[in-house]
Amino acid sequence: MENAAAKLREEAKKLLAAKKVDVIIGYEKGTLPLQSVPSFIEKPEDADKLVWDPFCSQNLAKFAHDLIHQHKASQVRMKPEERKKKVVGIVARGCTTRSMVIHLQEKQYGRDEVVILGVPCTGYVSKKKAAGAAGGEITGAEVKRKDLVLQTAAGEKTVPLSSVLSDSCMTCRFNNPVIVDVSLGEPAPPMNPEGEYEKVNAFEKLPEEERWAYFTKEMAKCMKCFACRNTCPSCYCKVCFAEQNQPAWIGVSVDPSDTQMFQLMRIFHMAGRCVDCGSCIEVCPMGVDLRTFLKKLDKDGFELFNTRPGGDMASPPPLSAYSYEDKEEFIYNP
Amino acid sequence: MAENKPQENWEPKIVGIVCNWCTYAGADLAGISRIQYPPNIRLIRVPCTGRINPFYIMKALQEGADGVLVSGCHPGECHYLSGNLSARRKFNMLKNFLTYVGIEPERITFTWCSASEGDRFAQVVKGVTERVKSRGPAAKLVKAL
Repeated sequence: MENAAAKLREEAKKLLAAKKVDVIIGYEKGTLPLQSVPSFIEKPEDADKLVWDPFCSQNLAKFAHDLIHQHKASQVRMKPEERKKKVVGIVARGCTTRSMVIHLQEKQYGRDEVVILGVPCTGYVSKKKAAGAAGGEITGAEVKRKDLVLQTAAGEKTVPLSSVLSDSCMTCRFNNPVIVDVSLGEPAPPMNPEGEYEKVNAFEKLPEEERWAYFTKEMAKCMKCFACRNTCPSCYCKVCFAEQNQPAWIGVSVDPSDTQMFQLMRIFHMAGRCVDCGSCIEVCPMGVDLRTFLKKLDKDGFELFNTRPGGDMASPPPLSAYSYEDKEEFIYNP
Repeated sequence: MAENKPQENWEPKIVGIVCNWCTYAGADLAGISRIQYPPNIRLIRVPCTGRINPFYIMKALQEGADGVLVSGCHPGECHYLSGNLSARRKFNMLKNFLTYVGIEPERITFTWCSASEGDRFAQVVKGVTERVKSRGPAAKLVKAL
């Protein structure tokens, strides 16, 4: 991990000095414990700020998309021959590269507009889990080998790193980058992909009323702050359905069905596009369990159409393709 | 919604989203052949099932429909060649997903019905009405305000 961080700074410096990229999107140390925040490095001398540690939680593909699109929008009134291309370097783990594969497949930017600094990933710390493990306000955190040392007002507490990793990371199948330009470090050891759908399988077996009760209970927490949408790399529409108002998909009343509808629609937009990076869960201020529902779409996409979102460039997203032989058991025949 | 409370003679309201080229013509044929089918269905004509946004189905349930029927051309017979094939993938995932969160699977029905299948259309509507009736008035996801 230390090696990867050192190599990352060195490579970032080289790329910026050689003007191969205009900006490097990476992580820098945050002001709060357990948090490495997104950082935008434009000068080679600033590259020393870059870090790579288990506190880098956000999926940076969102920023690559937004930066490139902002840049393109700023050039629409220029003559085509005067337009300049903006190349974005991005520090990417497995899920970030999968999001970028989705962007590339959906033709959001060209492969030549991004330089991917691929880092092998061993998972990031879920702030919610760490807070639960510490049992109080965390004032500092440090990684020591395979342990996480949490400082609280009551004293120090050491927990194994593997116990506070995000749920998505624990069952990650793609912890090494899918597409890469500059590789930083040896491939990481695999996580536990076999357990990927355990929760979904268990939830499927519950009776209908219990499932609905769980869904309504979780969605009652949601306050429609749209943080999940804002952080999601697959949610990049210029006008989101949540803000369309002629006609409005989402009502603005306090009725629980409006919140449920927003979540159902947003989650369904992730059909075949969710890479399970866990960013939405990490940023949710209310701790809504989105993963149980998002993972179902992932499972269906794999079982019905044999695709994993962003798994490789060649296989198209499941809902952009079709086949005569698709399964049809759900079709009603009187 | 007030009129959706369980009553003695409660009749379900069903939204039928049907494609212009097959099922709508099939419904037309059922009509001109004087085939009787339950009047609970309200048809919405769309150019193709591929044009149906899955949100329409969710929104219909929220706005007080007790059931939704989506019907289009049989696979391979789409007027636009592949609209219903793309739709089939979407609806497969949608139906699984809505069932997963706990909405009654009987409320959402997908079927194929061609322009010459007037009797089949009548049968489908009969079947769907029965299925929806068996689950009573919709209570989940319905907007109360």
